[in-house]
Amino acid sequence: MLRLLELNNSQKLNSWHGSLNIVYALVDGATAVTHQQMQAPLKVQRPFYPEGAVCHSVILHTAGGIVGGDKLSLNFHLQPKAHTLITTAAASKIYRSNGLEARQNILLQVDTDACLEWFPQETIVFNGAIYRQDLRVELAPGATWLGWEITRFGRSARGEKFLQGNWRSHTEVWQQQHPLWIDRQWLHGDEQIINSPHGLAGNSIVGSFVWIGQSISTDVVEKIRTLNSTVEQGEIGVTRLNAGLLCRYRGNSTTEVRNWFTEVWHLLRSSSLGKPAYRSRVWQI
Amino acid sequence: MTIERVLYLLQLASPALPVGAYSYSEGIEALVEMGIISNAQSLQHWLEQELRYGAIRLEAAVMVRTYHAVQNGDIEALSYWNQWLSAARETEELRSSSWQMGRSLIKLLVELQPQVLPLADAVGSCNYAIAFGIAAASWKIEPLSAVILGYLHSWTTNLVTAGVKLIPLGQTAGQQIILNLFSDLTNTATEALTLSDDDLCSCSWGLSLASMAHETQYTRLFRS
Repeated sequence: MLRLLELNNSQKLNSWHGSLNIVYALVDGATAVTHQQMQAPLKVQRPFYPEGAVCHSVILHTAGGIVGGDKLSLNFHLQPKAHTLITTAAASKIYRSNGLEARQNILLQVDTDACLEWFPQETIVFNGAIYRQDLRVELAPGATWLGWEITRFGRSARGEKFLQGNWRSHTEVWQQQHPLWIDRQWLHGDEQIINSPHGLAGNSIVGSFVWIGQSISTDVVEKIRTLNSTVEQGEIGVTRLNAGLLCRYRGNSTTEVRNWFTEVWHLLRSSSLGKPAYRSRVWQI
Repeated sequence: MTIERVLYLLQLASPALPVGAYSYSEGIEALVEMGIISNAQSLQHWLEQELRYGAIRLEAAVMVRTYHAVQNGDIEALSYWNQWLSAARETEELRSSSWQMGRSLIKLLVELQPQVLPLADAVGSCNYAIAFGIAAASWKIEPLSAVILGYLHSWTTNLVTAGVKLIPLGQTAGQQIILNLFSDLTNTATEALTLSDDDLCSCSWGLSLASMAHETQYTRLFRS
């Protein structure tokens, strides 16, 4: 008991409380960072413009991974008409916890006619990790948010499964105090849940791709449903949301899920945003 | 519970309640087609997992909030939780099935008890769990744990009936599954009573993929 207490205390002392506060605004026809505040281990690299007016930002976690007791807080605010694409420099790792929960809070504020494309790389949840993420999008009327979340449970390449621990990932999109999409996912590390067709069906990777802010016509949904040629192993599904679209993946390959999501993204980008396809240089796919 | 209240609960939880529950399988039709549910054991397992970690557990917890909101005359809370549930539905098909059943129950309730009308108007497109909570509170059914059991039991009976038809299974096997789920029903009912708002979360990968598959299933008997 004493040893456990000591462990918990040392984990508490070494825990990170990193934060990011970044504001984007449209300045002279292009989106620029107008305010930024960063606290280690979180950083945002200098913005770059590979496709004209859209501002691309890359988030960096300089400590390599998240341990129990860490609290990360990320705030991004897009002012009216700003257009930003945000990704992460590497996969996020959530290490095995010795008792404390690690938390990440993300607030994305997207003002009128702004568009935020949110494409972090995958999160690897180690066996025994206790993690909770709360991502909240405040979407103004006319604004668009699209994003994906890809999670690997256990370091599956070495045969590790998520048999212990707890993972919660709550994503909520609100518009003027009304919920547009609420997705509060929970996975308890347990052999039966991991193997059940109701849970992971023996797979290690799940992913969601979501587009919210504009309703999607049934024609576009039908077209998206035919974009399945790159998916061989995983299970996929597409459905309409009240003001958008949702795709889910459950399988064993991050390449497979990323390729599929990218295809869907590119189709929506050209049909609804009038933007050409783009592949981030940091993704290496 | 007084004997009279038992009768109200039986009526509300009855498969004969004209809300069209029998036309929904909540993804089970797709799971049977894919061979994932193929016998009594796999059907029971699916329902067990759904009760322990799934969407129905959340629905029950939201139904509890509705019941309290009606008791407190809190129309704002009623509307909030209805919007919350609509935004949390896994798929378009599950959202429309919940709205259709909710609409039918509210319509029936307004005809039987016109004083419910202001609540119905305030809520708008009403999810079934919300309509059920409104009905239970208006009929003053108590204790609340019995209301939750009634809600979960009618859900279970409906999906077992769908499974019996689709797999197919014998009627006795279907009844046995319901009996086997009794401990899960009571556990989930207890949890639904005490879950905090912050703890409203579920494991919905299996259900959302099954329901998405059902949305494009070529031949189907059920509407979800």
